Parts: sequence; C-alpha cells; structure tokens
Amino acid sequence: MKRPLLALSAATMAGALALSACSKGSGSGSTSADGVTTIRFVAADYGSNGQNPGQAYWQGVISAFQQQNPAIRVDLQVINWNDLDTQVKTMVQNGNQPDILQTGGYADYAKNGMLYPASDVLSPATAGDFVPALAKAGVQDGTQYGVPFVSSARMFLINNALFRKAGLDPANPPKTWDDVTTAATALKKAGVDVPLGIPLGKEEAQAESFIWMMGNHGGYQDAGGAYTINSPANMATFTQLKSWVDAGLTEQSPAAVNRTDLTKDFASGKVGMLNGFPGQLGDLRTMDVSWAPMPGKDGVSPSTLGVADWVMAFRKGGHKDQIRAFLDFAYQRDNTVKFDKEYNLLPVTRTALDALQTDPDEKALQPFLQILPTATFYPLSDPTWPGVSAQVKTQIGTAVTDPGKALDALQQAAVQAGR
Amino acid sequence: MKRHATRMTRTKRHSARTVLLAATAWALAALFLLPYLEMLVTAGRPADQLRDNGYLPAGFDWSSFTSVWSDTTLGQNLQVTLIVAAGSTLLVLAVALPAAYYTARVRFRGRKAFLLLVLVTQMFQPTALQVGLYREFFTIDLLDTILVLVLANAAFNLAFAIWILSAYISSIPVELEEAARIDGNGRLGALWRVTLPLALPGVVTAVIFTFIAAWNEFIMGLTLTNSPDRQPLTVGINNMIGAYSVQWNQVFAASLVAIVPVVILFAVIERHVVSGLTAGSVK
Amino acid sequence: MSRAPTPRSLLRRLGPVPWLAPAVLLILAVVVWPVAEMVRTSLRRIDTTGTDHGPAGLVKYRKLFADPRLPEVLGWTVVWTVAVVGLTMLLSLALAQLFNQNFPGRRIARWALIAPWAASVLMTAIGFRWMLDQVAGVLNRLLLDLGLIDRPQAWLGDAAHAKPWLVFVAVFVSLPFTTYTLLAGLQTVPAEVYEAARVDGASRWQIYRKVTLPLLRPAFLVALVVNLINVFNSFPVIWGMTQGGPNADTATTTVFMYMLRGYDVAESAAMSVVNFAVVIVMVLLFLKVSRWNEEESR
Repeated sequence: MKRPLLALSAATMAGALALSACSKGSGSGSTSADGVTTIRFVAADYGSNGQNPGQAYWQGVISAFQQQNPAIRVDLQVINWNDLDTQVKTMVQNGNQPDILQTGGYADYAKNGMLYPASDVLSPATAGDFVPALAKAGVQDGTQYGVPFVSSARMFLINNALFRKAGLDPANPPKTWDDVTTAATALKKAGVDVPLGIPLGKEEAQAESFIWMMGNHGGYQDAGGAYTINSPANMATFTQLKSWVDAGLTEQSPAAVNRTDLTKDFASGKVGMLNGFPGQLGDLRTMDVSWAPMPGKDGVSPSTLGVADWVMAFRKGGHKDQIRAFLDFAYQRDNTVKFDKEYNLLPVTRTALDALQTDPDEKALQPFLQILPTATFYPLSDPTWPGVSAQVKTQIGTAVTDPGKALDALQQAAVQAGR
Repeated sequence: MKRHATRMTRTKRHSARTVLLAATAWALAALFLLPYLEMLVTAGRPADQLRDNGYLPAGFDWSSFTSVWSDTTLGQNLQVTLIVAAGSTLLVLAVALPAAYYTARVRFRGRKAFLLLVLVTQMFQPTALQVGLYREFFTIDLLDTILVLVLANAAFNLAFAIWILSAYISSIPVELEEAARIDGNGRLGALWRVTLPLALPGVVTAVIFTFIAAWNEFIMGLTLTNSPDRQPLTVGINNMIGAYSVQWNQVFAASLVAIVPVVILFAVIERHVVSGLTAGSVK
Repeated sequence: MSRAPTPRSLLRRLGPVPWLAPAVLLILAVVVWPVAEMVRTSLRRIDTTGTDHGPAGLVKYRKLFADPRLPEVLGWTVVWTVAVVGLTMLLSLALAQLFNQNFPGRRIARWALIAPWAASVLMTAIGFRWMLDQVAGVLNRLLLDLGLIDRPQAWLGDAAHAKPWLVFVAVFVSLPFTTYTLLAGLQTVPAEVYEAARVDGASRWQIYRKVTLPLLRPAFLVALVVNLINVFNSFPVIWGMTQGGPNADTATTTVFMYMLRGYDVAESAAMSVVNFAVVIVMVLLFLKVSRWNEEESR
C-alpha cells in the first residue's frame, strides 16, 4: 500500500530531474562527431527596444562567418547590460564560461589567468590595427588581454536654443566652472527645467564623476595606480557639484537620475547642458546643439573620458584557433564600421577610424573621432576596478549631498577591495 | 406606540449605518483596485503617450498585450513560471501529505522536534538565505536550472502545507479511519479512501497557496537563474525595467496577464481562505 | 518473532521515517544547508569573478562593520519593520471589523481586497514606482491637481521622500493577508458572546475592547509574527521601487545584502549571517510568546 504515494513523489522528482536535464546549459562548446567545433560567444546588448538588434547584428556576422568556415559553429547569447555581469559571473563560477565574451571589463578574469593573451587569439594584422591608446588600455602587467571592441567618448553638449533664450552665446560655451555657474544661472532665470544635467544615478555615475574629476586634474587613481578617490582635488570637484545642486541649477536628486532618462529629457528640450556622448546623435539630428570640450576648474579640461568595451577569450574551452578565426573575421573593417554606425559608437581600429572620418554620412561624429586618440580611460587593467566601479556606481551620487563622507567611504572600500 | 416608535428609529438608524458601512467598504475596496486599474490604463496607453501625465490617454491601444510576448522573452518566462509553480506544488503535496498525516495521527518520539523544525522553516525566508542558497547550488552545480526553482519553492512552502494539512486531518474524526481499517484497509488505504477526500478543502487550500507563492516568487528566481528560458516571469519583468527604454505598457500588460490565474484561483478558494487561515494558523 | 518480517511490519518498525523523511530531507537540503553555506562563504576570500582565494577569517565581518552605511541600514531596518507592521496591524483591525459587518456586496468588496495579495509584490511595487514617476506619474498629477504640491516631485529620488512611500506600499501589500487572518479570528467568536454582552448593556466600543479584542488575540499574534518575519525579510517592495538607493539610503539589511553581493559575495554572506542572527532571535521570541512548549505538552 505504500507504493502509490512513493511512486507519486518519485515520479515528480523524476519529472523535475528530466526538466533540469533538458534545460541545463550545454556547457562549454565542443567538437561533435562530424568535425564541427562549437564555440560559445556571449555578447552585450547595445540597444534594445525589446527587439534585440544586437542579436540581429551578430547573427549576420556569424552566419557569414560560418559560411566561410563550415567547421566552426558559433553559439551566440546576447544579454542586456544590467544582467550581463551577474550572468557571466555565474557561468564562470560554474566553470561554464563562454569561449568569447564581449563585456565592459577584463581585468579580474585576466588576473586569475583565465584569458588567452590577445596575441594568441588575433592574427598580427588584426592585432596591429587597434588605435594605440585603446590597445594600451587592454594591457595588464605587460600583456594585452583585453581586445577593445567599441569605444565612446564624452563631450560637453549644449542646447543652442535654450542658450540663446537665456541670452547666452552658444558659440562661446562655458570653459571654466565659473562659466558653468554663470550659464546655468542664466538658464534657470530663463525658465529652463534643468540648466545643468549631472546624472549620478547608478547607470553611469562612475563616468559622470570621472569627467568632472578630470576637470580638476583629479581621478580615481594616481599615476602609480593607487586609489585617490578622496583626494583634495576630487573633494573640490564634488564640493563644486554640490553647490550647483544646492543652488537648484541641476535636476532634482542627481543621485537617483540615470543618464538614459536625462538624455531623453535633453532631447525633449528640458536640459540646457550636460556631458553628452555620440549615442545621442540619433535623437539630436533635428536639434540645434553644440559639442564643446569639457569645462574644467580653470579652463577646458585637459582630457576627456574615453570608454571602451572589451572582447576577451577564455582558455577553458581550448578553442584558441577557432576563436582567432572568428575574431579576425569579426574585426574586419566592414563589420566594425557597420556596428559603430548602427549604435553611434566610436571605432577601435585604425582602418575603421579612417573609414568613418571620410564618411560623408558621419559628419556629426567628427569631433569625437578627433579627440578619441587622446582620451583617458578608467583604471581598466586593475583587477579591483570592476568591484570598485560597481561601488562607485551606487555610492558616488550621494557625494553631492556630503562629499567628505561619500568619498571617504569609497576610498576605504577601494583600498580594501584587493583584500 | 412609544415602543413602536423606538423600533422605527432603530431600524432607520440601522439602515443608515448599513449604507455608511457599505459606502466606506466599497470605497476602500475600490482603493485597493486602483493601482491595478492604473496598470491597465498604462498597458493600454499608446507608446507615444507614455510620457504624458494625463489620467487617461487620448485613445487606447491594446496591442501591448500581444506585442509583449513577441518582442520580449516574457513568453518563455511565463512558461518557466508555470512549470515551476506546478512542479513545486506537486512536490509539496507529495512530501507534505504523508508528513502531515503522520504527525496528525500518531504521537511518536520526535514529533515535537519535527513540528519545531517545520515551524522554524516557516520563519526562514529565501530572502534571508539567498547568499547561502546561491552558494549551495553553485557548489552542487544546479544554478540556472528549472529544477533548482522547483526544489527551492517547494521547500519554502512546505511548512505551511504541512501545517494546514495536519490541522485539517486532525479535525477529521479518527473513528472514520479506524472503521475503514477494520474493513481491511491498511493505514495508507484508509488515508487514501477516507481521510484524503474529507481533507480535500485543506488540500485545495494548501495547493493553491503553494501555487500562488511559487507563481509570484521573485528573489530566488533572481539569484538562482540567469538565462531567459529558465527565469520566471517576475524576473523577466524586472529585467525589462533594466533595459534601455522601459516599455511600461508592455511591462504592465504582462503583469496583468500574470495576475489573472491567481485571481481565478483565489476566487475558487475565497470561502476557504478564511477557514484555511483559521485551521492553518489560528489554532 | 521468528517469522520473516512482512513488508507491513517492516514499515511499522520504521515508524515515522518513511512518512517524514522526504519532508525532512527537503528541508535539510534547501533550508538548513544554505545556512551552513552562508557561514562558510562569509569566512572566505572570493573575488569579483567568483574565484575562491582561500580563508579570510573574520576579515569580511570587519569590513562589513567598518562600512559607514551599516548603522543607517540597521536603523532603517528597525524603523521599517516597526512602522510597516504597526500600521498594518492597526489598519487591518479596522478593516477586518468593517468587512465582518453585513452589508450588500460584501463578498465582492472582500474580493477586491485580495488584489494586492494575488498580484506579485514586485509587480505592485513597480506599479507604484510608475505612478510616482516625476514626469508621467499619475500620483504626481493627482497631488498637483489637489494642490498638495506645486511641482512634480521625484518622490523616489532621495531617502526622505522615498521612505514614506516605501512604507505605504509595504503596508498596502500586507493588508490583505493580515485582514483576512483577523477576519478568520473574528469569525471564531461565537455570536452568543456578543449577545450576552449586549444584554449586559455594554456599548459598542466596550464590547470591542472587552470581548472582541481578547478573543482576537491568537489571530492577532499569528498575523503579527508572520508580518514581522515577512516585513523584516521584505525585498521586492524596496527593490522594485528604489533598488535600495540612492546609495544604500533606503536599503534594509536584506536589500543591502543583495547589493553587497554585486561586488563581494563573502561580505554579503557576512551580512546574511548577521541578518540571520536577528531572525533567530525573532523565532525564539515567537516560540516564547506562543508558549510552544506548554501548548504541546498539554
């Protein structure tokens, strides 16, 4: 009589096990009987309206690649930025890492010896084509592990119509912080909702902060690679930002405002000036705007922020040759140019840079293409940076309320991050 | 005469009071529905009017209810939710029923310890144990599977099911069962033929509560899975809010669709909710 | 004794084991094991890629307690739990009383009350976040039209504004269960008790205080404890509305532990252990209040 119940629960368990068996990821790629090697490729999604165009782009590249290389199959997974880090982390912890990963940082994986050096997975021609500043940002302890994928840079963006309405000259944009104060005050008087946008919400706070820090010769680290988040220069920067917030010259509670939302507000004419990026060009096509160098404390900022996303190849699967074949293909000029144009991103290779500089459709991109080779990057090769960056993202926004407290806490966390 | 008059005013006062009561209760009930009505309005807002702050859009566009399934992974997520809710409910039933029956019927050594374990389990929530759960299933390589969600949802709903079933079974006279056993049924036979049918309302309540809890679960889905085809709907909806531009109309269309089965289930057990809570908790 | 054991007598000899083993196993595997794993993880050094670099001793606990945000997180967790549970219990007492009366359409009205219970808490939280949106939020519009604010507010932008709304939403989603539990309690009070009190000339308020409330005590206690546990552990309300931000200004310990997990899983585990200790204290308190032992030995 015991059987029915036990059988029931056994059946349930068996059903559940079967479910898991068919739904569990297939592990790292492998060679099947017919000699086709599968490599797994995880990529970030660069723009989705739910339609996942990133997926469409990569599918196109992959099917062209597979046609030329019938012995290699590329298994693609496109993940949105918000989930990418945790999902990849889980894969790595499970020993289920992809062969190729395209994401925001490489340093911690490189430090753990999980990655192939770039020279192992790129032909010399491909490897030699990168813009030097970008290739250098991929180097950790003398070896390049990070392969730049796309880049972007920031410039100060001004709504010309609002400037004129406030009696300001858009051809003469603010060069110093005092100029910013003057302009923002005039904009506020003219009834502009957000004279100066400083989106310090989670999404891109690490970038926004870094840009303003650089305007005062500050930054996250000193030349020797030691964290200096609460340096006097950075304190002065955030004291300045705080005074703008307190004077009502910015959006309400910057610590909770994300870049995406503020750029939308800019496009609808509510924001006077902010740090812009090429990705906005699409929305701004019909708007009268100016791109200017970043204003600094005493004069225009010596450098601008460059950001790059990275491709890296994991050793685990042992598919060095297949990875090289795919990356050489993916980095062909026409592919990269297409991707850059689609998302208004900046190139990482010299050939693509040349192509875009001479492209009559891409006039708007020119100011960015010019500053790119001189841009400053995050401390990308520092293996503690991914963790520190995550903390900066959530915490630094509150520095406009209490600069000392927030920056001290972050400095302490950054120093401890390696332990 | 006088007596009659008093009664008159009393009835009048009574009905005035009833009207007031009914009005208050109805107003409150409406208040509880309003947020969900607003979700419905948003789901029907044409995409280009999502940033408008009018109470109602200029016209409704219900296409979000279909587009959300084709534009996003939520269709897959909904499937996962269905499998997880059904699977964990079955598992709970299979595991809780024997335990509930035995503890209700037999005084054995360790009974108190077992009941204490169950009670304590009810106090521990997945939220509090998320890191441990994550590390455990990482260690045994079960992360990102549907099985892990089935197991975890079952475990955290087990206590309530045992509790409520045990209470129901206790309330069924043991004599009925004994009679059945004298008629040649074993303990299991008696349980199957006599006790279970009588305890059916309890079983239904336990089943529905478990199903709803698993249906709405969020934190374990968030921490234990990461592929769209293994993430439940709650996580899928949460992910939509992290995307580049939030399609609020689609978010709420999906949310509302997810509420429907639960509302129906609640309607089924509305009568049992109160008695279920009495039996399960208020003892 | 000498004959071979039949399956049935074998079953009998095993006693409770076959009946209870599946439940105990499931609980051990999914509830008890994670506790051990949590403690173990809190003593390790694990980097952002998830690679384990060996034992860390109490480093992670020290790091956690040195985090300047921790005191505020703990303080807010207490305020949050007390405020949400307190308001929920008070409002539910009134609601249960109201919905226990006879009035036309009671069944449907009660039904409406279930909505926040039936909907996933996360979805309700997201719904409120949307209604509080600075540009498109219907609540901003309503408050503007009522003249209560003079310009749309970023309600969830800073802790001072966000916290009352978080409490509001948490109370909103806790009310149905609590009210239903109290309704269940009210229905266990026999009508004759009220009749007797009325005959004695007691006023409505006197009856409520002297008769209803004492009889409602068991239901009230259960609802109180369940709410305490639920609200203390609540995650979706805060996550859906502010994600604990800005910084960790609106994070309770459970949300904070999820935030920590983003960059240091071991420190997050340390937070979990601390949090878990609080839960244990609450469980012990409950056992004491419910006089578990006496109940059972009776």
